[in-house]
Amino acid sequence: MAQRLQKELANFMRDPIPGMSLDRNLVEGNLNVWVINVDGAPNTLYEGEIFKLQFKFPQRYPFDSPSVMFIGNKIPEHPHIYSNGHICLSILTDEWSPALSVQSVCLSIVSMLSSCKAKSRPPDDERYVQTCRDPSDPKKTRWFFHDDSV
Amino acid sequence: MTSETNQEFNFYEDELIDEKIAAQQTAIEKEIANEQKLVGDLIELNTLLNEYLAEDTVYRSKITELSERFRYMRKTRGDGNCFFRAFAFRYFETLMGKPDEINKLKDLVNKFTSDLSQLGYNSFTVDDFKDVFIEELEKLNNTSDIRLLEEIFNNSGSSDYIVVFLRLIVSCYLQNNSDFYLAFLETYQSMKDFCSHEVEPMYRESDHIHIIALTNALEIPVGIIYLDRADQEKATPHNFPDDSNPNIFILYRPGHYDIIYRN
Repeated sequence: MAQRLQKELANFMRDPIPGMSLDRNLVEGNLNVWVINVDGAPNTLYEGEIFKLQFKFPQRYPFDSPSVMFIGNKIPEHPHIYSNGHICLSILTDEWSPALSVQSVCLSIVSMLSSCKAKSRPPDDERYVQTCRDPSDPKKTRWFFHDDSV
Repeated sequence: MTSETNQEFNFYEDELIDEKIAAQQTAIEKEIANEQKLVGDLIELNTLLNEYLAEDTVYRSKITELSERFRYMRKTRGDGNCFFRAFAFRYFETLMGKPDEINKLKDLVNKFTSDLSQLGYNSFTVDDFKDVFIEELEKLNNTSDIRLLEEIFNNSGSSDYIVVFLRLIVSCYLQNNSDFYLAFLETYQSMKDFCSHEVEPMYRESDHIHIIALTNALEIPVGIIYLDRADQEKATPHNFPDDSNPNIFILYRPGHYDIIYRN
């Protein structure tokens, strides 16, 4: 796993995604947790906002998917993002493939934010945030995916 | 008690049960990992008789009959990757000490790598799996030492990388031949959708469509011998493709694939 993460890191630095950068303070010495600073893209509903996206890599990464969530006190207001930072995105659970990478996850999240037409929380936000199995690990939730169009 | 608190109580119960089930599942997975190597040692096929009760005559007579034609077998770990792992081990075994055939496979592997990149796959992750696949394959150029192969396939690093690459080959082949294979899908709307749910993720079990795609993609026929409770005297053979004459044989018992060796 360490080798793959090294490669991912090098790749992330070499070929950065616009508006995303690694939070260096948090990476040093520990490759298993990354925090990525996300700038809301120009001409989207999130322009000017800044978020923090956390990746935690399990021991069996890349065979198992990373745990990915927004952290900190700014969580993007989006119909697929819960107010505790959990993200409802199929490639993070059901459709994870070892051929995906940090970059492909980031790109999916950017496109999810960019295509949003109206800011809102998921309809079951309040209930989910109170009852989800583990607030620090979205992978413990059994997700149901209903709407891919947003 | 109001109905509301009642509901909450039930909800809490459900959560507890879910957690117990999850814990149990982890324990079972651990037990399987401890008991069964990824690819086991060569054993006599008739040792399978030990797994069935004396009264279980359907299985027992089929095993006895089968062991006359297939004396040896290797068990594989039941982790959902067993078809891919069994196939890969046996296929690599047939390539040992045959650099010409290994080179042919390398050409095919490179072709699929570029097909995957045309389909929009991340070349750096695909290359990572391809590189390990080729590196392990090349170790077999000048050797027939089976211990080396056993080592490659029982080291989860190399073994799982080989499994992932075969899964990617199947996904690539299915997507590029979706006109034909789409007709076999029941619950998925698109081939891409099927592949991202049922082919690429690790531990996802294999069905006919995976076997057909892999044997066609690599042009390596496989014979699957079905051993089940069906009321027949012999285990049922099925070659992929139908009219082929395979060298690689795999035993299927409901939910699991093991390697078997024809005499």
